Amino acid sequence: MHKFEYASPTTKEQAVALLGKSWGETEALAGGTDLLSLLKDYLVTPKRVVNLKGIKELSSVLTPRDGSARIGALASIEAVRDLGRGFAALSQAAAGITSPQIRNMGTVGGDLCQRPRCWYFRSGFGLLAKDESGNALVPNGDNRYHAILGNDGEAKFVNPSSLAPAFIALNAKIKIFGPAGEREVEAAKFFVTPKSASEREYALQPNEIVTMIHVPSTLGVRSATYEVRQREVLDWPLAAASVALTLDASKKVKTARIVLGHVAPVPWVAEEAAQSLIGKTISEDAAAEAGRLAVANAHALSRNAYKIQLASVAVKRAILQAVS
Amino acid sequence: MSFLAKYIGQKVKRTEDPRLIQGIGHYVDDIKLADTLHVVILRSPYAHARINAINTDAAKRVPGVVAVYTGADVAGKVGNVPCAMAHPELKVPAFGVLAQTKVFFVGHPVAAVVAQNKYQARDAADLIDVDYEPLDVVSDGEKAAQPDSPVIHEEFGTNIALVHNAGVGDIDAAFAQADKIVTQRLVHQRLAPISIEPRGVLAQYFPGEHQLNLWSSTQIPHLMRTQVSLMLGMPENRVRVVTPEVGGGFGCKLNVYAEEALLGWIAMQLHKPVKWIEGRRENFQATIHGRGQTGTVQVAVKNDGTLLGLKYDVIADIGAYHQLLTPAIPTLTGLMLSGCYKIPAISMKCTEVFTNKMSTDAYRGAGRPEATYLVERLMDCVARELNMDPVELRRKNFPQPDEFPFTTACGVIYDSGDYEKALSKALTIADYQKLRDEQKAARAAGRVMGIGVSTYVEICAMGPSAAMPAGGWESATIRVEPTGKVTVLTGVSPHGQGEETAFAQIVGDMLGIDMNDVLVVHGDTAVVQYGIGTFGSRGLAVGGAALVCATEKVVKKAKKLAAHLLGADEASLTFEDGKFVGAPDDKSLTIQEVALAAHTAASLPEDFEPGLTATHFFEPKNFTFPSGTHICVVEIDRETGELEIKRYIAVDDCGNQINPLIVAGQVHGGIAQGLAQALFEEVVYDENGQLLTGELMDYAVPKAHQLPRYELDHTVTPTPVNPLGAKGVGEAGTIGSTPAVANAVIDALAPFGVKHVDLPLRPEKLWRMMHN
Ligand SMILES: Cc1cc2nc3c(=O)[nH]c(=O)nc-3n(C[C@H](O)[C@H](O)[C@H](O)COP(=O)(O)OP(=O)(O)OC[C@H]3O[C@@H](n4cnc5c(N)ncnc54)[C@H](O)[C@@H]3O)c2cc1C
Repeated sequence: MHKFEYASPTTKEQAVALLGKSWGETEALAGGTDLLSLLKDYLVTPKRVVNLKGIKELSSVLTPRDGSARIGALASIEAVRDLGRGFAALSQAAAGITSPQIRNMGTVGGDLCQRPRCWYFRSGFGLLAKDESGNALVPNGDNRYHAILGNDGEAKFVNPSSLAPAFIALNAKIKIFGPAGEREVEAAKFFVTPKSASEREYALQPNEIVTMIHVPSTLGVRSATYEVRQREVLDWPLAAASVALTLDASKKVKTARIVLGHVAPVPWVAEEAAQSLIGKTISEDAAAEAGRLAVANAHALSRNAYKIQLASVAVKRAILQAVS
Repeated sequence: MSFLAKYIGQKVKRTEDPRLIQGIGHYVDDIKLADTLHVVILRSPYAHARINAINTDAAKRVPGVVAVYTGADVAGKVGNVPCAMAHPELKVPAFGVLAQTKVFFVGHPVAAVVAQNKYQARDAADLIDVDYEPLDVVSDGEKAAQPDSPVIHEEFGTNIALVHNAGVGDIDAAFAQADKIVTQRLVHQRLAPISIEPRGVLAQYFPGEHQLNLWSSTQIPHLMRTQVSLMLGMPENRVRVVTPEVGGGFGCKLNVYAEEALLGWIAMQLHKPVKWIEGRRENFQATIHGRGQTGTVQVAVKNDGTLLGLKYDVIADIGAYHQLLTPAIPTLTGLMLSGCYKIPAISMKCTEVFTNKMSTDAYRGAGRPEATYLVERLMDCVARELNMDPVELRRKNFPQPDEFPFTTACGVIYDSGDYEKALSKALTIADYQKLRDEQKAARAAGRVMGIGVSTYVEICAMGPSAAMPAGGWESATIRVEPTGKVTVLTGVSPHGQGEETAFAQIVGDMLGIDMNDVLVVHGDTAVVQYGIGTFGSRGLAVGGAALVCATEKVVKKAKKLAAHLLGADEASLTFEDGKFVGAPDDKSLTIQEVALAAHTAASLPEDFEPGLTATHFFEPKNFTFPSGTHICVVEIDRETGELEIKRYIAVDDCGNQINPLIVAGQVHGGIAQGLAQALFEEVVYDENGQLLTGELMDYAVPKAHQLPRYELDHTVTPTPVNPLGAKGVGEAGTIGSTPAVANAVIDALAPFGVKHVDLPLRPEKLWRMMHN
């Protein structure tokens, strides 16, 4: 690990003032479950690490009666696992993170901002996984866990956040604080596919931090997350789907959101699949059809065709789970 | 000797657990000595490379760094890492504690950095500049054996370390008579033992006394003392090895590694305590792996299911160097190829090859899981071929209880066994016929369900000295102290097996005292007489047997004194429930009273040595052969290939049980590891010899919630080879479970025409099998 300066501000104003203007200069520290390994493997080499945990206001979780939630960026993953029924998609996603230690140390903001697990990235070949002479390593390499959707550009990694698809399905908004004050983006727009290795996978400026996630009212919302994890250990799902539905009085689908995780460089909103459910009563067939549509445009790399099947199954099962 | 079984056979809670559960036990890293320096080992990132130069200048300038050592510093000063197998044809490369001119595997120690704290040492290690010249890598065992393969150790001109042939009987005749010959290629993937506590060494040297103390997380303190003293040229009696709490070993700490002697040597250079604690990534790279065999099995069989012969031609990929028992492990497979069946002719050809990988060595089961897996897998293949129920095929070939001791065509003599008894018990618990009916219904409904059976026998209680590289006996000393408290010094080195409890139960009953008055001391060579250690399910069956004999000696001695004190005839006294009775006037003496008298020595019989202590070195006459039946029921998700274990039944026979709670614990852990081999675990090196499964995020160790609820039962067939009648149970679960799970999965996939799938049975593989 390289030497760095360690700052521990107590307000968000101080924090953003301590953060640098370009990526790489400084890093924000929350639970450290990802940042520490990035530092130890020299994947980030900041001159200053800014610890956010001293900013007490960022760790609260509020669930007012209207069925909405305001989740501080520093709330633990474990804290969202305990949210009530309306937040099923979210709490199921949190429960899927298999290690209790990580659920307790890791924060919600950190989960959204964690860096990809692509092993080329983690071995020092950069976000776009290129060797010294600029050749892309993923297409002919071990791409079992890489993207099957949104993979036509150079980025082939998958977004690693399990909570992100659930937040997007629940129409959450992400509150961001920077030198110019507060702004808010839709969770779906928070994630971006980087075009160069020096960009990040999310729409933050280097001197901005996530402060809160606002989930609008979930009254009447039936949601679920289904992950295919293959029962291995301490790893990420191979594919996951978060679904949020509202039904009318005759149990027909009024609104639907379907978001896939771990299949694309960003959480993948499956618009067509969601549309296919509108006006229907949920059945095994309707769910399976949505699953098929969700991966209709998927494109396998040399070794990850299996993920297409898993993503489709995850969508089907998440839909059935949401109404069960 | 007769005694009341107050503790023996009872589910006594382990006395070790409270301190471990509370986190107040002491592992190597918990031992803090003043002024300790910390060592970080720089390891090779290349699988095969020449070292052209090493520049340590920058590392030495890091604040806090005290010394940096490389191969040149230790050459000629520290002996090579030892291999205990002596075989005239075995090729033994010189394995220095730090690499000399070349590195041979990823993780090969290249330099040692010593600093005031481990962070400084780690940062400094990153600044060592090693000029490597990459060489051709040999990463595949089968290719390594080919004549056109690059050669790893040039001095031998070949990668073949040893060709080992085993088995007796007329194999050609057996195959000539066969109605059918069933052939299957099988891969036993490499596994990492993953003890929760990695290795660790703390070394302290007193120059005035010329005394070296080593704290090490090991299974074999005495053997290590001998080897380290030889490596360092130290008199053996001036080296003290202490094993504090050891957080698991599973065979990987049945070894002498480079770091033990290296740390000892560094402590002797610097005259300060030095500590090295292995990290998890290091543990994956530089602690031995297990298994690693690829071979072809052929079974000759009659149409009625009678087995005639078995041939196994196998390549064992042993890695770059020999650790302590590396070349011996695949030979153990050769001892158990008869399984629990009558097979008149057996032949094994095992070719052990060097590759640019970490060494393989003993991992829970050590050579026997390979044998059981291949025999049990083949039994299912044969049953399929003959259209027989796999259970009937097994049954047909069992030796009957009256055929024991049973000599196999592998040349070993099974001590005792009743294989049918465990099998029928397991079938009853499982309700086998009903399961088969359920399976039919499930298949008709499009579900993918399978039932797997494995009947196993294993070789334990290692072992008669004639069959062991460094003695197979075990020692025990028992001391009845003046106050009547009892101290046991055992030569075994428990590291999770619970012998502190089991041994106290034995002594408690034999002496008729409270078991809490018995202290079991182990793992300190300055305190305990020489012993062999804990491995090969020998702790109770050999170490416990030694203790029984020592306790008998102590009772005999006490009786002499009791008779003298009671004015009785020795022959008229009996020792019952802690008391010598049968003296005139109903007078009696407790063992505690006798112990006090033996120490105050006011009145002793003629020629009676004061004190009340006895030592026994027990030499077993044979191994023991525990056995059992495991049944596994699985269902596979057709859409994802994911697998669920619906039921898991294990009926084990480890002979007499001293503590059924501990037996169950051993079986639980063993099944977890064996099942993990079937479903999850695999050490993977790529073609460049890079370790792809170098951390717990890539190497899938199962967690509790991934394991099924076990339905356990047992049968009891005591062994005649030791006074306890106990056979050992440390490895049974690992050995019985892998084939049970594999057989269940392959049975499930039978409708898809699947005859065999290599382990681990990952969902993607299974899904492809169903969708091809
Ligand atoms: C073994 C293992 C298994 C895991 N499995 C899963 C899984 O299945 N699913 C899953 O979703 N995750 C998984 N994780 C990831 C884990 O959830 C994340 O590491 C964790 O959520 C990160 O949170 P943290 O607070 O520790 O973040 P840190 O490690 O402190 O930070 C992570 C990154 O986010 C940035 N950051 C953190 N907070 C903020 C903020 N408020 N504003 C701006 N930037 C911020 C940091 O600068 C850093 O770049 C796993 C992790 C491990 C180690």
